[in-house]
Amino acid sequence: MAECVKVCTANFGKGAQDIEVYKKLGGYANISEKLFNMSQFELIDYVQRSNLRGRGGAGFPTGMKWSFVPRNSGKPVYIVVNADEGEGGTFKDHFLMLEDPHRLIEGLIIAGWALGSRAAYIYCRGEFLPCIESINKALNQAYAAGYLGENIMGTKFCFDIFVHRGAGAYICGEETALINSLEGQKGQPRLKPPFPAVSGAWKSPTCVNNVETIMALPWILSHEPEEYAKMGTPRAGGTKVFCISGDVKNPGVYEAPLGTPMMTMINDYAGGVVGGNLKAVLPGGSSCAPLTAEEAAVATMDYECLASMKTMFGSGAMIVINDTHNMVDLLNCLGNFYSHESCGQCTPCREGTGLLHRMLNLIVEGKGHDGDVELMQSLCGGFGGVTICPLSISLGGPVSSYTAKFRADFDEYIAKNPDHAKPRVQETYRPGIFW
Amino acid sequence: MFKKPIVLEFSGNNMSNYYNMPKLPTENSPKVEIFVDDKPVMVPGDTNLLEALKAVGIETPHVCYHPFLPVSGNCRQCLVEQEGPRGRMLVIACYTPVAPGMKIYTPASSARVKNARKATQEFMLVNHPLDCPICDKAGECTLQENYMEAGQNESRMRPEYGKNYHGNPAHQFIDAKGQLRGGKHVDLGPRVLLDEERCVQCDRCVRFMRSIAGSEQLQLAGRADHTYITTFPGEKLDHEYDLCVTDVCPVGAMTAKYFRFQKRVWLLSHTPTVSMDDSLGANIWLDHADGRIYRVMPRCNPEVNRSWLSNTSRLAFQNFDKNRLPFMGFHVIQNLVSGVKAEGGKIALAAGGTCTIEDLAALRMLKDSLGDSAELFGGTFKKVGSPDGIAMSGDPMANRAGFKLMGVPENNLADLTKRTGEFKLLLTVNLDIFGEDASQASALEKIQNRVVLSAFNDETAAHGTLSCGVRHWSEVQGTMVNSLNILQKLNACPVCPDEKIRPAYEILSELAGCKFESAADAFKHAGKYAAALSGLSYDTIKSTGKLLEGGEA
Repeated sequence: MAECVKVCTANFGKGAQDIEVYKKLGGYANISEKLFNMSQFELIDYVQRSNLRGRGGAGFPTGMKWSFVPRNSGKPVYIVVNADEGEGGTFKDHFLMLEDPHRLIEGLIIAGWALGSRAAYIYCRGEFLPCIESINKALNQAYAAGYLGENIMGTKFCFDIFVHRGAGAYICGEETALINSLEGQKGQPRLKPPFPAVSGAWKSPTCVNNVETIMALPWILSHEPEEYAKMGTPRAGGTKVFCISGDVKNPGVYEAPLGTPMMTMINDYAGGVVGGNLKAVLPGGSSCAPLTAEEAAVATMDYECLASMKTMFGSGAMIVINDTHNMVDLLNCLGNFYSHESCGQCTPCREGTGLLHRMLNLIVEGKGHDGDVELMQSLCGGFGGVTICPLSISLGGPVSSYTAKFRADFDEYIAKNPDHAKPRVQETYRPGIFW
Repeated sequence: MFKKPIVLEFSGNNMSNYYNMPKLPTENSPKVEIFVDDKPVMVPGDTNLLEALKAVGIETPHVCYHPFLPVSGNCRQCLVEQEGPRGRMLVIACYTPVAPGMKIYTPASSARVKNARKATQEFMLVNHPLDCPICDKAGECTLQENYMEAGQNESRMRPEYGKNYHGNPAHQFIDAKGQLRGGKHVDLGPRVLLDEERCVQCDRCVRFMRSIAGSEQLQLAGRADHTYITTFPGEKLDHEYDLCVTDVCPVGAMTAKYFRFQKRVWLLSHTPTVSMDDSLGANIWLDHADGRIYRVMPRCNPEVNRSWLSNTSRLAFQNFDKNRLPFMGFHVIQNLVSGVKAEGGKIALAAGGTCTIEDLAALRMLKDSLGDSAELFGGTFKKVGSPDGIAMSGDPMANRAGFKLMGVPENNLADLTKRTGEFKLLLTVNLDIFGEDASQASALEKIQNRVVLSAFNDETAAHGTLSCGVRHWSEVQGTMVNSLNILQKLNACPVCPDEKIRPAYEILSELAGCKFESAADAFKHAGKYAAALSGLSYDTIKSTGKLLEGGEA
């Protein structure tokens, strides 16, 4: 395991929650003449050259996202930090905010300067109380030290950061639902277009970025962008904070360059699989398709390789599963989660996730029938690309891939039903009986 | 330590969930060429795809989209395929603006669209009860229509999968078969009942109350397949337009208490007419069967009342057949009028706001036949309000513009009450002057002969010396001019309680000595008194009316 440059997790365990410690570790060095002498376009170009891609899951190039924000629209530009980390298996933002809140603030000031923004909101998941405390403490210190507020460092730049506590909906991690929730409305994704970059919070241009994306900015600014780009793959620069959980010896948060082989992550960083042999790996959170042990042996952790294997990099949350588990149980868990978290807007997702969950539940209870799996696969075909947001696919994708790759697990459960071969009887209504 | 947030404009319209209203095509819409299933067609260019396809005769099934409500795009039923930079993508037709040269694929050529719509329909029916035999909406239900048109596919579900009926947990119950059911008759307010099981979460009623009625009384609570429509805790759905939510509801979830279980909708006949209790003249359907009106539904007219109707106009029909005045004493009236004329006494002819153009034409003719001894009066003592911007102008005198057009005074009743001494005979037509303001009208009792032509046995009929029943406006052919100067046509609903009762214009014209054979005949005569009507023919007036010259477009 090669020693890797730590971009986001460098200050872990060093007490960087305190501004003095953080400054001693090189913090807030970027909030200087160098930053304020850069024009907005230079800074965006700088970020674009670093090849930084959004770390929230979709992997959209950050510089490009910023360049979409219109200038001189006559409305304020908002930056919203998506800290509503709810995806199963993801816990990196939690630790990043807990351990190093000042880096987030520093990154936000840089982003604020780049976008000409006056205010940023940190939309934090409501359950992350320690994180919120940590950030609020850091914000107070940053205000006191003059890094936030009016006329930062004697310039005309004014910038405020507000922390908003979410109310615990997974869907509020979707950027337009997050903005709705921030505005005080029901957290439901909006129809697009208009995209948030043009008309987001309070119908103003809004840039929604992940915590980790923002936290990479101080390092990029204090080094050369090419240096950051060099660490990753040709199409995505830098390092990534991975959360490894499941059946591994040392689950936790690890920072590694993009493109690290998956088995290196599991064996070298997380200490290897425990409790049995490797059965499957979910490379990017609970909503992605699993990789079998054979596929995991050749996979590398980057956007392109995982996309070519018909799964996704997502938020870099690896869930390692050993062969003592039945995949149906796991899928049933996901069904429970996604059917509960569907916002209830689009018909396929609202009704379909619940139906899939009920079907999975029956299979797990030993009441499955032959043809259930085919019906589930067919139902998932009705999810693809027809809803406002991708939550339906977050369940539909796993259902399709689990049933395709681990069909034996499903058959094993269905065989427990003594009547599993009973065909579906079409109930016929014959009005002739009565009149 | 924190600074106060930047002051923002926190008006309702700034919020994003206040979706945009769809742009509807008009006659003046620019035509653009798009390719539907690879065939070039010319469609209106300033609208959404759903309306554009409708304009060329391609119906797209939809549940949540309503032309007069903001687009929320959540039913996902109107999917079409669009050729884009990333290949052919499924898009919702209701939210996709028409762009010149765009390539669209409908189920006619695309199996993907067909399957996607089928899948959406399947999902929509997963948790929908098989209530159709006892559902009030059956026969005019969007879900039924979509299902009958596109598929009638056999269900793939097993009974074991069960249904997760939408609804408030507090309303759930165990039915006779031991199944968990959702709330079946939730009392939302004084006029509307909700069936939570049937609801498909299309959001239409919420959007109606929020964006049209302007009073956010309904909300979608919960999420996923336990979403349900509800009012705020402790509040009731109570609004002048709350019955419109039963119209916009695509399924039988919202039902009107007055019409619940009254009649199967396919047994109803529909008469298109105009509501004569307000000068906007909201376009309505009178749904009738067995010689009585069962309900009044708004009739879509984008220029007038769009798809909305106030409760006042909608529920007025309940009194149309009550307390009616029989047809009687016509010859006595005839003799009386000719007697007073022979004596040289003055005659006051007073008309009420529900008189049609035809009635007024007959009244003018009667005045002409009586010569200088007759004088015309008209108007109302009721309070004139202001327009509410939805489907009421606030003016209770329905045909006020028609009075002006026909040269009949529309605001001189006070004059009449002051000059009672001059007149020997008062003839009122559809004017409940005693009912409107008894104290002012009491002066009229000084007039020796008071002849009342009225549909109802009202206060004025009670104070008259002679009264004769005429047909109600719902039972006559005719025309009226509304406050927007649109000439609108009334059609006769065959619900008149007594065949002998005749329209007012027939009686008046017979008094004048020249009986109008039909409304068309009467309308022709009206052209003599109003230049704006002279070139028109009764039969060619469209169901949405005709904008008269001088009106605002």
